[in-house]
Amino acid sequence: MDQQAQTAHRLESPIPARAGIGLKAQHYQEILETQPDIGWLEVHSENYMCQGGPTHNWLMAMRERFPISMHGVGLSLGSAGPLDKNHLGRLRTLEQSLEPGAVSEHLSWSIADGVYLNDLIALPYTEESLDIFCDHVVQMQDTLKRRVLIENPSSYLRYEHSVIPEPEFLLAVAERTDCRILLDVNNVYVSAKNHGFDPIDYINQIPGELVKEIHMAGHSKTVIGGRTIRVDDHGSPICDAVWDLYNHTIALMGPKPTLIEWDSNIPELGVLLGEAAKADRVLDQHRHTDVTKPEPQHAHAR
Amino acid sequence: MPTLAELQSAMRAVSLGGDAAPLAGVIIGDGFSTQERLSIHRNNTTILLGESLGATFRIVKALVGDEFFANLTRQYIRTNPPTAPCLFEYGANFPEFLGHTPSLAELPYIEDVARLEWLWNESFHAPAAPVMTTADLGAIGADDLNALVLNPHPSLRLITSPYPLKQIWDLHQCDADPEALVNLDDGENHLVLVRSQLDVQIIELGAGGFTLASCLADGACLEDAFGAVEGIGDANEAPNALGLLIAAGAFQR
Repeated sequence: MDQQAQTAHRLESPIPARAGIGLKAQHYQEILETQPDIGWLEVHSENYMCQGGPTHNWLMAMRERFPISMHGVGLSLGSAGPLDKNHLGRLRTLEQSLEPGAVSEHLSWSIADGVYLNDLIALPYTEESLDIFCDHVVQMQDTLKRRVLIENPSSYLRYEHSVIPEPEFLLAVAERTDCRILLDVNNVYVSAKNHGFDPIDYINQIPGELVKEIHMAGHSKTVIGGRTIRVDDHGSPICDAVWDLYNHTIALMGPKPTLIEWDSNIPELGVLLGEAAKADRVLDQHRHTDVTKPEPQHAHAR
Repeated sequence: MPTLAELQSAMRAVSLGGDAAPLAGVIIGDGFSTQERLSIHRNNTTILLGESLGATFRIVKALVGDEFFANLTRQYIRTNPPTAPCLFEYGANFPEFLGHTPSLAELPYIEDVARLEWLWNESFHAPAAPVMTTADLGAIGADDLNALVLNPHPSLRLITSPYPLKQIWDLHQCDADPEALVNLDDGENHLVLVRSQLDVQIIELGAGGFTLASCLADGACLEDAFGAVEGIGDANEAPNALGLLIAAGAFQR
């Protein structure tokens, strides 16, 4: 089955291989007034689907100054039911007015029986869910007439009937739909700790040329019944272990646009800029090592 | 094993407070009970939707306190979960829900405060539109004025309440006097909300001015709207209110 999106894709993303930050209402004014040296901004698409008003105006003002990436949290590509056509239409409208450098969504589900749970829940990785997920990615790309990025989730549970390892599932989606990958390094770490797999091994399975964006965030630990589960709440500084994993990822794949996400207990802008500067230093260390194009080996040896 | 649709339906029920037992053979426990595994997702839904409602209804939250508000939103989310992902549109019937909550019977004004916050939220996110100015109105010939029907700005909202809503609202703005108090017996409020510029304005009108605004918002011509006001308030109230509404950008060009 060839599900490759028959769409005229735009030019490759103008989102630079630098650090960007998630745009928060608390920081609108300061960002416009101080024009900090950040590579780009990312917004949650759903927060800007209003038809007018200050929120919309702020976004348009940001767009004049920074490359913008649209990150969706509400399409629920992993739902068994059909995509919400009204929501997809609103996504298209926003995408057309914003002309973002990238559009992304999640490898997860959040809608069932017409109810939006405001949660990103991991799928069982089965042939059934792969078919459904790919159909929805194709529908999204056909509607937007562009390639989208799909992000690996944080997961807190696994299903008895899951048969496909997550990296394999993600790569199958990319292959079937021609989408690209948003690699959330913190999510890999959170899931690895929760389920006991090696995060390095996961990262090593993802070909760098498919990765068009990286997410970095803080997570928290919650204790249930005497055992710890890590929760991806984007409410604290990025921990050292996730920075180590990021270093490994960039050394492996070369510089990638890297987003600092912070969605709860939102700190002053300076704190986000500090995290972004830290990511930029890692990116700069690997700026001149083009690891995505390996040397041809002995092509003319004979 | 369940189909994806069956699985998602069962997990939705658990996230909205239902029993996790039907998923016992489906979710890998690995040291946790099924209920414990699913509690993380239930918390995500409850806490994050509660935060969204807390942002839209921040004065209600301040009035009842964080803990009580969290209890209210938990009940509301389970009986009225969102049906679409744009959360600035979630909570339309939260005021009505508060009005039917027995534990709030001693705070009868809470429902109206919530209505005001919801209308402010609607006005804030409404589409932009060109505004009819005093000059535009002046350019209309005197003979045509009586039959004139004004087109409400998309952000125009009206609310009337037996409680002093505007005073309660002002008390919860960042520039409020921390010593100020509201007397709930201060009387009824007639408010018009409009966002023709950057911010939502809340305009307090008398009963006559509010009747005029309601009639015009409902599509009455000026003559009929002024006719409806006769006998309500003093004679200057309606003309003054029209001046205020036009200046605030309550109507589209």
